[in-house]
Amino acid sequence: MENLEALLHGFTIALSGNHIFLMVIGVLLGILVGVLPGLGAPNGVSLLLPLTFGMQPVSAIILLSCMYWGALFGGSVTSILFNIPGEPSSVATTFDGYPMARDGRPTTALATAFGSAAFGALAGVVLITLSASWVAKVALAFGPPEYFAVYFLAFASFVGMGGSPPVKTLVSLAIGFALAAVGIDTVSGSVRLTMGIDELVKGVNFVVAVMGLFGIGELLIAVEDEFHVKAISSRVEWREVFRTLIHLPRYGWTLLRSAAIGCWMGITPGGPTAASFMSYGIAKRLSSRRANFGKGEPEGIVAPETADHAAGTSALLPMLALGIPGSATAAVMMGGLMIWGLNPGPMLFIEQKDFVWGLIASMYLGNVVAVILVLLTVPIFAALMRVPFFIIAPLIVIICTVGAYSVSNSYLDVVLMMGFGIVGYLFKKLHYPLAPMVLAIVIGDKAEDAFRQSMLMSRGSLGIFFGNTLVTTLVLMGTALLVLPVIWQTMKKIATRSR
Amino acid sequence: MMVSGRSLEAGTALLTGAFGAAVVVSSLDNGIGWSAAGVESGTFPFIFGLVILAGSVFNLVQGWLHARAVVLGRNELKRLGILFVPAAVYVGIIPLIGIYFASAGYVFGALAWHKRGSFLLPAVAAIGAALALYLIFELTFQISLPRGLFGDFIGF
Repeated sequence: MENLEALLHGFTIALSGNHIFLMVIGVLLGILVGVLPGLGAPNGVSLLLPLTFGMQPVSAIILLSCMYWGALFGGSVTSILFNIPGEPSSVATTFDGYPMARDGRPTTALATAFGSAAFGALAGVVLITLSASWVAKVALAFGPPEYFAVYFLAFASFVGMGGSPPVKTLVSLAIGFALAAVGIDTVSGSVRLTMGIDELVKGVNFVVAVMGLFGIGELLIAVEDEFHVKAISSRVEWREVFRTLIHLPRYGWTLLRSAAIGCWMGITPGGPTAASFMSYGIAKRLSSRRANFGKGEPEGIVAPETADHAAGTSALLPMLALGIPGSATAAVMMGGLMIWGLNPGPMLFIEQKDFVWGLIASMYLGNVVAVILVLLTVPIFAALMRVPFFIIAPLIVIICTVGAYSVSNSYLDVVLMMGFGIVGYLFKKLHYPLAPMVLAIVIGDKAEDAFRQSMLMSRGSLGIFFGNTLVTTLVLMGTALLVLPVIWQTMKKIATRSR
Repeated sequence: MMVSGRSLEAGTALLTGAFGAAVVVSSLDNGIGWSAAGVESGTFPFIFGLVILAGSVFNLVQGWLHARAVVLGRNELKRLGILFVPAAVYVGIIPLIGIYFASAGYVFGALAWHKRGSFLLPAVAAIGAALALYLIFELTFQISLPRGLFGDFIGF
């Protein structure tokens, strides 16, 4: 009850004309950086930061956090329309979002994504409201073994499903891990796998890999198949947007489950990327329409989008409560907090009640503003699908090139991106799955670091992964997800044989 | 000219295998196994390199024996070339003339080739593309895009 009272007080702070205006500006700028690959929420927030120095801390955090919401929504747009995920966490959205858009239903795909994203974000904010004080304790219990267990769970829920040949899946996964290891090893500080190229010390950036694998690779597949988008009517499809939103509750169970996965991963802090992959994997396993996944199944958009936004939102909680930034964007925001003269950490909730609850109230309002604005833009973005291929193809090449370059101002990244494009084409053509590789590139080195740090703690004993209830449960859940399908299939085979 | 499913499988398996071998050799420099400082930094890459290598050998044999009849015919190869060659040239000349001139040239070339004969629209689109890049990246987000040797030469 105490939290609710504080929240109402927060609303009185957030609901002013000035703050609503800041929300609109923040969301619009966020959508812009989210849509452009190579630019993301961290860039946008860093650039806005100097503008906030003269503001009230509450106004400043409202502007920055709304930019973050806008970027989260915008990142899904390019994933769905062009198969180019702008952020790691929107990779899983491409699996079903892009096929659906290509089949002539970009409006439905975008509306499904935004609708479920809004639900996920709302779940995250409600969770923050109710459990702000309790969460700090859970997050503090997380050490290296728990981190490793969470990543293991993400891999286990995702790998081993789908119809790709197992050895090809394994090769794809292992390549991802090897690529994640390139550059400086964070545990020992030594340089790995640079193959004599000094510039590789900075590692292979995820954005570079993904733009090549998905963007360029898909372009090559499309041109070979005599790409043509199926007829899309030219009128603005408002009715379709509403119909999609009204039908969303049909996926109620998926929405709830994905929101739960997202919130949990956001707090623990496994992060939005692991959350969206895990949610997609679990949805595919449990769905009765399993065979449609990857071909434009709405549930395949609902699951990752809901989890992504639930995790993205609830990840702000550890930042405020513990002073641990869960992402690059959160780190920049935390920098802002300190510049405005606030100290992130448990004391923030006691000393700066107005700031904390103003921010939480603005999360409700900001997400509502973001959903309205982003739904208004759906028809505009959907119209992009009607641009002829001979115009869109060079534009995608240019966008990927500029995006790859702007990640770290390096021409090598552009060359790597083109190389990944060829690999993406070959892999897709020969039924190597790309998703395990991308997942390994994104969280592979984090998983490895967590494992090695755990080994240091336990002096080489694997027993540390069974050291307490939390980590044991996580490890057992992961193992079950890996082993059960195999046992299930073997039993099925035996049953059919004995018949 | 045609590419058979068999040679495509074999080519890809050789590519991944070569990468795996390179990872194995390179990770040996970092040391593998257990030391006083815990698991050595080459251990994981070494294991994954071996997995890639073994998997590639398996895929090579498998692809050779059971290749499906995917073939890239003359038409497919031609279409791939029409997209990929200009894209590769575009990326290749960026260090020389910079991203702005390269992008403008690429857009101009693609549209002019498609429209055949009309040059006004491609020219406008080309200048528009370069300008949009400049406005968004250089001015709004303060990310400096490469100007190339030519840019240095004219002092841009």
